[in-house]
Amino acid sequence: MAKKLGKKARKFARKGLQTVQKQKRKQRTFFKKKSAPRGRGLNGEAPDENEENLNHERNVSQLDQNVGGGHVFDKNIGNLLGEEDEVELEDDFSDSDGYLSEDTECPYISENENENISRDDTARGTFQEENTEIKMQIAKQKKELDKLLAKDKEFAKFLESRRSQLEQYDRMVSDDEEVEGDEEEEEEEEQEEQTRQPVTQTTLDVWCWLVTEDPNSPALRNLLNLYHNASLFGVITSRNEKSAQIVSHEVYSTVINFVLCEADGIFRALLGVAENSNAERILMKLKSSKEWLNVGPLVKSYFKSSIKLLNQVTDTMLLVFLLFRLMSSVVFLHAFSSLGRRLIKILVRFWSTGEDQLSTSAFLLMKEVASQLSSDYFNICMKAMYRTFVARCKFVDDSNLARIDFMKSSFLEITSLDVQQSYLVAVSSLQRLGDVVKHSSTTKKKEDLMKINNWQYINCLNLWVKFICLNYKENNLQQLFDKAVRVIFGVTSLFTGPRFLPLKLKCAQMLNDLSLTSGHFIPVSSLVFECLDLTGVVTGKMDGDEEPRLKLSTLLKVPGNLLKSRRFQEECVRSSVEVLCTHFSQWSFHVSLPELSTIPLILLKRCHEKATVESVRRLIKRFIDQAEQNRDFLQMKRDGVSFSPNDQTSIDNFLLLEKSNVKSSFTQFYASMLQNSQIRNMVK
Amino acid sequence: MGKRRKVILPPELPPETPDEEFEISDEDVEFFSENRSFTNFLASFDKKKIDKHVTRVADKSEDEIERLYERRNRNNAPLDSRENDLQVDPVDALPIKTLDGKLQYRTTKNVRSEEGNVSTDLTGEEDGEKQGTNLIRLTKAERNKKLKKEKKEAKKLKEDEDIAPNSPKEKLRSEVLKEVEEEISAEESFGAKKIKLAEIGMALLEGPEANIRSLKELLDFCKDRDPQVVKLGLMSMLAVLKDIIPSYRIRELTDKELAMPVSEAVRKTRYYEYTLLRSYKSYLQKLIELQKEAIFKLVAVRCMCTLLEAAPHFNLSEKLLAGTVRNISSSDDVIRKLCCEAIKSLFKNEGKHGGEGTVRAVRLIAQLVKKHNCQLHPDSLEVFLSLRFDEDLGKHENKAEEKNKFTKNKKGKQEPMKHLPPSEKKKSKQELIAKTRGEVYADYKAVSFAPDSEKRQRMQSDTLSAVFETYFRILKHAVDASDPRFMSETSGFHAQPLLAPCLEGLGKFSHLIDLDFMADLMSCLKQLSGFSSGTHLQSKTFNVKNSDSNRSYNGLTVSERLQCCIVAFKIMKSNLDALNVDLQDFFMQLYNLLLEYRPYRDRGEVLAEALKTMLWDGRQHDMQRAAAFIKRLATFSLSFGSSEAMAALATLKQLLQKNTKCRSLLENDAGGGSISGLVVKYQPEATDPYLSGALASVLWELSLLSKHYNPSVSQMASNILSMTNLKPTQNIVNPSLIALNPIQAFWESTVQKELLKPMNAKVPPSLKRKRKREQDTEYYVLDPQKLRNIDSEVIGEEEVKLRFEEHFKVLRDISENERFKGELNRTLASISLYDEFKREKLEKERSVALKSGKKKAKVLVKHSSSS
Repeated sequence: MAKKLGKKARKFARKGLQTVQKQKRKQRTFFKKKSAPRGRGLNGEAPDENEENLNHERNVSQLDQNVGGGHVFDKNIGNLLGEEDEVELEDDFSDSDGYLSEDTECPYISENENENISRDDTARGTFQEENTEIKMQIAKQKKELDKLLAKDKEFAKFLESRRSQLEQYDRMVSDDEEVEGDEEEEEEEEQEEQTRQPVTQTTLDVWCWLVTEDPNSPALRNLLNLYHNASLFGVITSRNEKSAQIVSHEVYSTVINFVLCEADGIFRALLGVAENSNAERILMKLKSSKEWLNVGPLVKSYFKSSIKLLNQVTDTMLLVFLLFRLMSSVVFLHAFSSLGRRLIKILVRFWSTGEDQLSTSAFLLMKEVASQLSSDYFNICMKAMYRTFVARCKFVDDSNLARIDFMKSSFLEITSLDVQQSYLVAVSSLQRLGDVVKHSSTTKKKEDLMKINNWQYINCLNLWVKFICLNYKENNLQQLFDKAVRVIFGVTSLFTGPRFLPLKLKCAQMLNDLSLTSGHFIPVSSLVFECLDLTGVVTGKMDGDEEPRLKLSTLLKVPGNLLKSRRFQEECVRSSVEVLCTHFSQWSFHVSLPELSTIPLILLKRCHEKATVESVRRLIKRFIDQAEQNRDFLQMKRDGVSFSPNDQTSIDNFLLLEKSNVKSSFTQFYASMLQNSQIRNMVK
Repeated sequence: MGKRRKVILPPELPPETPDEEFEISDEDVEFFSENRSFTNFLASFDKKKIDKHVTRVADKSEDEIERLYERRNRNNAPLDSRENDLQVDPVDALPIKTLDGKLQYRTTKNVRSEEGNVSTDLTGEEDGEKQGTNLIRLTKAERNKKLKKEKKEAKKLKEDEDIAPNSPKEKLRSEVLKEVEEEISAEESFGAKKIKLAEIGMALLEGPEANIRSLKELLDFCKDRDPQVVKLGLMSMLAVLKDIIPSYRIRELTDKELAMPVSEAVRKTRYYEYTLLRSYKSYLQKLIELQKEAIFKLVAVRCMCTLLEAAPHFNLSEKLLAGTVRNISSSDDVIRKLCCEAIKSLFKNEGKHGGEGTVRAVRLIAQLVKKHNCQLHPDSLEVFLSLRFDEDLGKHENKAEEKNKFTKNKKGKQEPMKHLPPSEKKKSKQELIAKTRGEVYADYKAVSFAPDSEKRQRMQSDTLSAVFETYFRILKHAVDASDPRFMSETSGFHAQPLLAPCLEGLGKFSHLIDLDFMADLMSCLKQLSGFSSGTHLQSKTFNVKNSDSNRSYNGLTVSERLQCCIVAFKIMKSNLDALNVDLQDFFMQLYNLLLEYRPYRDRGEVLAEALKTMLWDGRQHDMQRAAAFIKRLATFSLSFGSSEAMAALATLKQLLQKNTKCRSLLENDAGGGSISGLVVKYQPEATDPYLSGALASVLWELSLLSKHYNPSVSQMASNILSMTNLKPTQNIVNPSLIALNPIQAFWESTVQKELLKPMNAKVPPSLKRKRKREQDTEYYVLDPQKLRNIDSEVIGEEEVKLRFEEHFKVLRDISENERFKGELNRTLASISLYDEFKREKLEKERSVALKSGKKKAKVLVKHSSSS
């Protein structure tokens, strides 16, 4: 609820609820702290409504995980990108107030209209009730005051002398506003309000009509100004009754709706640009042209107001709508780099914290920005996303697994837009990840190990591994590949013991991915041997129903009490079998598969003998059977050939046909196993 | 400098020493003759200036100067007490860094002797000082000191002044004063003691013969109340003793000798030696006593270790040794390290004590191991590795003999020790040696004072037997522990802390092991390495189905078992002539241990070493075995990391090179051709290399390994594959490729090393440029269908309108609410202000009333007065 209502409403809740009221005074200093200057970098300034959520999440997951290492690593990866790109965001709000000068000839139809003034339409009633209650109280108190005034004539004078003191009470209610609100906006307010008069629905209709008829009509400016006003509505009206330009909800919604829907078309029409043409090129041409000089400010005002609106609106669906409307006019952003940065900042926030739809549409818009505009935008987008990702992936649990997954893949989408640029970031990030491992392997200190054994590190590593996998085929990423493999092996070498099995399994999965895309052989099997050695020592109770399902995908280090539990073993064996499955299936038609599977099979058989849990036994048995079938098949085929191991071409061609054709049980088994694992790892 | 208020006394002159006592070393002379310019400044001395400094205080009266000096001395004391170190001689304030990284200020006594040299060269220390040519830092230090001193004095004075005048609290003050005084006096006495210590030490070092009595005084300090003083006393004593202990052992005099009349000089010497010995003795006693107290433990142990290192030959060294060995397995890391180092240096510098110390130390350690039932810190056994038995190399022992051209003796020494069974050839040789020795012996005896070789032999064999006793004890203990009867106690944790250094030692001294023990030793090793059947020790107790569960029953790690194999091989290798034991069992162990190996849990370097000693170094192997190992190593490298793979491949290559027939494995010759062994088909899971039938297999692994991500592995694999084309007789493929042995190969490609490889930050040219705009609708990772659906989920205009209206209303209501609240608050505040208003009003009225009242009164007065 709090999240949905957003900044404005939360603020209200903070003041309006009686219980909170007490706290408010105590906390005032705290809130004031948040009024730090704007423009601290794209993700430096976390939006406050999310901060609390995040904090909460953090606490929860901290309790769950007992990791606590997140902060240690924070700095390290936090500056993975280095300081060079900590660009200060400059606001260009100061250079103009956001209003456009208007033509006075535009009609203001101000005939009497009380159609909507009646208050029966009030929103959700929540505040309505309270408002009426307060009103009654006011009336009551006023009466009292009047009595007093009547009683003593001099009191009125006295009150007058204490006016300033009384004003403070007024301010106390809304002083958060003062702290957080933009000062410039207030200034705008002061200057402008004298000339403005309320716009009625009819006036608006006329304006809209005028604009649709002729895009050049001066009403456009009025409309945009009204739009701007609407975007400021929540911020300013709260204390000042002066911004009365919008008095009815209909005007409010109509103007926003109209501007959002039509603005793009109007601008294009004004500039003489076709709807689906390659706008960028045309824009470049127009940049210095006459039309642009006229249209530019309009566009700027449009974007500025929209960005404000994005900050104001809390309803997800509305935000999605807003973002979609903005998407078509992204090209125009090219001219206003600081607005672009501001937009990206908001988008990254939505992307990382918003609900499903919102984050997706934020991502789509970001992609649009990154792909359509210059590479600077691409860089800003990518780095902001990466930084946010790093900050957001400190903890992994069921609740945010999907989110992290989404963030990863959408980040990859962005990076693959321009591999060349992202390559540089990848190199430096991997280098730093590698340095951490190098350092830890020399010191072997606990705190250094904690820098690696946390989600932030693993997620980052995983992200770049995915990046390599995605782009390996089309690009020459050999170097990145080498580095990544080395780093992963470095990580695995640092942790021994069954407690770190989940971590190792994750490394193994990454190696499998890398191996699969690169076609290089990576010996993965030894990573799961430790896991197989573990089986058989079950101490926990056998009635597994009471044990919660263990999800290895959300664990890095197994808590000690679970180590010998049945569930854990099951999960362990299953995951290691899956790793082996991937490994085998990659080479399932390679001539040396029988040898490759020799040692794992021996160990698996041993494991099968030891295992006491029936489900584990069954699982292992099935895998052994299938792998042996595979081995036998290969051996049979191999016996029939005459080439030697040094004949690389023949080996490459060996069973090439079968690879695509054979529907043997083992290939199907591998496939189903992998599919299962994917399903299991998905969030439920 | 000259701005100081007080009279500056010239720094203390070094004590007067007659010129003839200065010994200018040859090196010094050489140095100054070579570098004449260094002495130039001497020529340019301004004599007058120097004189002025030295005689400046002459105009003061004699008493005054004396008083000044006295005060300086006194003032020095409390100052020094701040630094918890030995007194710093102002002339030599530069600290020394000891080996363990501690800064130590040189004590005066250590310095004096050098100082003599210096002062002759520089015609007086202070000259150079005042000239400021080379000792700037010194003067600075001194200045600081003086400043400090002044400050402190001023402070004290102030304190005194503060305390005195306040009479009312005098009682309390006086108490405080007392305390302060006590403190000061304690401080002062501490300082005084330190000075005293330094003086005694200096005196002792200057003339040990004359001042030997002072040792007792020094010893008295060690009984002081103040632990700090005791520590200092111990350290000073140590420093003195280290220097004055003679290079010989002092013998107790017999009664007869005592009775004999002796010359003055002899009497003096006897007295000197007697005193020294007695003090030394009581010092040692003190050390041993203090060693039991926690605060002194470290100091005492340090003193003992230093003494042991410095004078292992001297009387009572056995006590010293006992004290050191007692702490060799201390849980305190520092103490343990100190003791271990001391013992190691004892072993290394046998020349100092002629080997007796070694024997004694080894015996003591052996006892210790026995006493503690093999549960000691591994460090305590590692010291054995510093022992040296190899006479051919032990030059320090043979110097005397070499001088006397008695080199043949070396051989003679070795033989009885080893107890080799005298073969015919050796017998005759021995006789010859005996003969020669007989001849020269008399001669040698006459001129040499060194312990004769027989005695040395005896000592060496004593040492050896003690060492091996210890080793065998540990082995036995390990074997016992692995016995199933004790299994319940030992299983699950690593109960053999000493096994690893023991095995290492056995490997190192394998050539010295007595043949009689050999069989037992081998069976022990066999059992420990996990061999499960056929040995007499355990044929009945175990009925292990397969060797897989070995680890669980004997409680040893894979690394330790590998080490057992290595040791066995080393022993065999060094006694190859005399022994003819089949090592097949150990090969089998290795063959199976390859499967047990887990990276990072087990030590990869041990595995590499095992591969090196057992397979790489070995001669030609049996073909079956070689083939089995080749196959297994290839399979092994498919499943393990690159460093293990490299070690395995290096071994594999060597095997292929040595066993030319095994190269058939490289070719796919259906059925293995003519040379297939007993088993026709390859059995990858066989535990016995002979039964694996590896000759029938093909090294397909290499084809996959040549796709290895690690370039060195893939290169190695391709190299091996290229051996196919060689003729069976041809041995060397490519000389540059043989260079790596398994251990090197292992270390070359460890993870840590791999990580060091730098990355090129350049963008490879083939990277994709920015994609075209037209393409940007395609997606790589995300599900495009889902993304497209987002479009359709966007709400329609009507809905938008409604929601915006709703939003607007919420905003409006909120703002309204705020406004109302403000109003409410204002009203309430106004009401509450009414009270204030009333109060003020009242006050005003009252004051008005008062004023008017006064006025009235005044008026009245006026009235009355006027009227």
